[in-house]
Amino acid sequence: MSGTLPVSVLWLLPLLLLPLAVYSGFRMLIGIARKEQGAEERDWSVPQIEFEGGEISAVHRWDVRFKLASFLLLAFLIVSLQHPQTAGAALLLALVGYRLAAIPWRRGLKRLLGMAGFLSMFLLMLPLTAVQQSSDLVLVFGSIDWLNFNLRGLDLAILIILRAATVALLMEPLLATAPLPVTLAGLARMGVPRRLTELLLITHRYLYVFLHEARRMQIGMEVRGFRKSTSLATLRSVGNYVGMLFVRSFERTERVHAAMLARGYQGHWPQPISFNVRSGDYLKAGLVIGIGLLLVICDQFLGG
Amino acid sequence: MHQHMKAAEFEHDNRLLMQVESLAYRYPDGTQALAGINLQVRAGDRIALVGHNGSGKTTLVKQLCGLLLPDAGSVTYKGAQFVGAHLASARLEIGLLFQDPDDQLFGNSLYEDVAFGPRNQGQSEVDVDLAVRQALKAVGLEALMFKPPHALSYGQKKRAALAGLLAMRPSLLILDEPTANLDSVQEQIFLDLLKNYAGTLILISHDLIFLYELCERALVLDSGRVHHDYPLKELVAHRPSLREHGLDFSFRFAESRQKAETVAVERRKFAHKIELDVSAGSRSSALVDVRSLSYRYPDGTQALKEIDLAIKPSERLALVGANGAGKSTLLMCLLGIFPFSGEYRFAGKKILPGKGRAVWRQTGMVFQDCADQLVCPSCYDEVAFAPRQFGVAEEQVRERVELALKMVKLDGFEERVPLHLSGGERKRLALASVLSLQPQLLILDEPTAGLDPQGEELLLDILSEIDATLILVSHDIFFVRELTQRTLVMHAGEIALDYSTKSFFADKNLTSLNGLDYTYRDRCALQIRELQHRHEHAHPHRHLHEHSHRHGDLVHRHPHEHQHEHEHSYVHRHADQGAHQHPIQNEYHEHDHPAHEEDDHDHAH
Repeated sequence: MSGTLPVSVLWLLPLLLLPLAVYSGFRMLIGIARKEQGAEERDWSVPQIEFEGGEISAVHRWDVRFKLASFLLLAFLIVSLQHPQTAGAALLLALVGYRLAAIPWRRGLKRLLGMAGFLSMFLLMLPLTAVQQSSDLVLVFGSIDWLNFNLRGLDLAILIILRAATVALLMEPLLATAPLPVTLAGLARMGVPRRLTELLLITHRYLYVFLHEARRMQIGMEVRGFRKSTSLATLRSVGNYVGMLFVRSFERTERVHAAMLARGYQGHWPQPISFNVRSGDYLKAGLVIGIGLLLVICDQFLGG
Repeated sequence: MHQHMKAAEFEHDNRLLMQVESLAYRYPDGTQALAGINLQVRAGDRIALVGHNGSGKTTLVKQLCGLLLPDAGSVTYKGAQFVGAHLASARLEIGLLFQDPDDQLFGNSLYEDVAFGPRNQGQSEVDVDLAVRQALKAVGLEALMFKPPHALSYGQKKRAALAGLLAMRPSLLILDEPTANLDSVQEQIFLDLLKNYAGTLILISHDLIFLYELCERALVLDSGRVHHDYPLKELVAHRPSLREHGLDFSFRFAESRQKAETVAVERRKFAHKIELDVSAGSRSSALVDVRSLSYRYPDGTQALKEIDLAIKPSERLALVGANGAGKSTLLMCLLGIFPFSGEYRFAGKKILPGKGRAVWRQTGMVFQDCADQLVCPSCYDEVAFAPRQFGVAEEQVRERVELALKMVKLDGFEERVPLHLSGGERKRLALASVLSLQPQLLILDEPTAGLDPQGEELLLDILSEIDATLILVSHDIFFVRELTQRTLVMHAGEIALDYSTKSFFADKNLTSLNGLDYTYRDRCALQIRELQHRHEHAHPHRHLHEHSHRHGDLVHRHPHEHQHEHEHSYVHRHADQGAHQHPIQNEYHEHDHPAHEEDDHDHAH
């Protein structure tokens, strides 16, 4: 079906509100998940990974190197999908995998919410800006003929959103089923330079410190009346803020390095993590990669 | 009193652990940080390393654990200098606790962090596990073993950082300001651990009261040189030396201050009035009027529960309580930063959650870490920042900056770079940066954190002269007593008690309130005060004693009595007007009397 389909101008309103509706939907879902979580502090005397799901799933027991390789390959295969149908199937399978990995929903929702604001804009931008091809079906809103809503653009936006959401959901079974040091040790065993994995490990820790520090400084400026505007004064203040943040971070880096040296650091992070390959690891890897290949094949069929 | 460079002689005759000879060190910018340091540390020594902010203490301890290498002179540990394999092994035996616990909590969970040291020592995983669990248990954090460090409170971070060192079982433990910003409960944990620590201890702190029972020896640094090296008791007993090095904390013994007494009389009257006001629930003229204010952290934790609070103009109020009781969160809500629920009026105007601009125009907040509010390249710009943001004319801004800098005794600092100021100067600059707004309400969050006693005394004088409504959040009970008339005790997000500061200090149940047990400090303060009042006085008096003595050619010994004059050491109290009384002495008493045997003895036989 191609050509132009005139519709009432009133259709414009729900289409314009579509991104907002998607974003608000995610916020509502995460609100529900937060309420379910409750306000009680978790038991920190057991490792976080063990606590999170309340159970250890097959994904938890999977050798982290196989898990990394399988999920990363699967992510590439999913990104290569060209049809919303197969991308939708991939999302459903990702949700099943997510459930099997026994990870709390709020984690995945939080990750999706982080992307929702950006991704939902595609629902509006792509249909309105896609170059019209002969096979395209375009909605025209009453007499506003300069505003065309290209349904191929909407398909493309949905495809992008489905692929992005699937990959984002896959990151949870990948990253939330093993402690970060173990995952990074797995990466190191797979040939990623050890210095890089150690840097990632320490960056993860100090990202929180940096954010706290940045927030405190921001509050310090706000309570003294600072308000962002398009003026040179604002530019100067923001410049000072960023500069000071940089100086503080640089000084902290020096202190952290000194503290590491003082506790015997000699160039590598001491982490005696051992990996034992079992036949189940191969089986799980085969299953995940097989699903990915199956999706690609189906996608090819749809294309044909 | 000066015993410049004199080596100390102590009871320990243990082996020499560390020897520093003619140590000198310059910072990369050429500033002389240390010069001519000679020092011996023996196994079992317990040393208080004290001195002004910027006197070189931290630089010296970095030399002592091989993090910095001397430009001249030498540092030897167990007989060898810090090079090669010896340096690597020495670092595994010397534990250094940094001032900011975030600097040394680099693991992704407490367990990982505490295991870092033992793993570097090459211990087996079984031993590492045991060491981690024991160390975390010792600091009371075993229940948080797998918590990420960024989710800990400040006090927990401090204890976790100490656990990371204890797990390595160091033979020498060096702690840099271990108890700064800690409530008394957390301080007590440190105290107990350090008292029981069997190794060699070097403590950097401005808090001589805390150090008093922990250390035997004091090492006083001044401008990168060792000015005194002698028993700590001698240092704390000698006020001129303390004053010389900015360490005189005697102003804390408030009853010796006549001024404090007169101020206290006034405050007692005001406190009584406040008690009446509080009981009557008067809110009509309140500057801050809060009803049923609650706040939850984004993770769902209830931080504040149904807070009701009215603060009148010119009232001076203290917020006290354990770390994590909700004091700072309440401040953030009062500033309109956090999206609270409940009703809040400031100067009669309703404040909406998270919309605090109306509050900021009339409120000055000095943060615990003053670096959080110093962002400008010069002191002038820093102090001018707030008035400029609120659109004050530049001419007026200049006047306000001059006045504010003068108030905090920083006149002449206009062109200085805030980052290059000492800790005390930065704190005062942060105060000036909010005073320039001429606030109705001044909020101070732990104003004494990291200050040396001289800086504290100066800050106290400045704050006493400021005419504004004051909210003081502090673990420093002396500042609470000196600066406020009303005290709110917070516990688990609620105002547990709201009474006059006088009643607060008279409250016998203070120790049962989490975080408010000051028994150790009170005991040490009393002992130090006695030491400082132990003076030598000469009085003619009579003695009955027995010793060999000579009458011409006759030498013999027997009890005999005579009157003479020599010095005695007295412990005494100062009365209100500065006079003092000696305790009653026996008319006859024994004591050493050198060379008395050779004096003429004229008595009946």
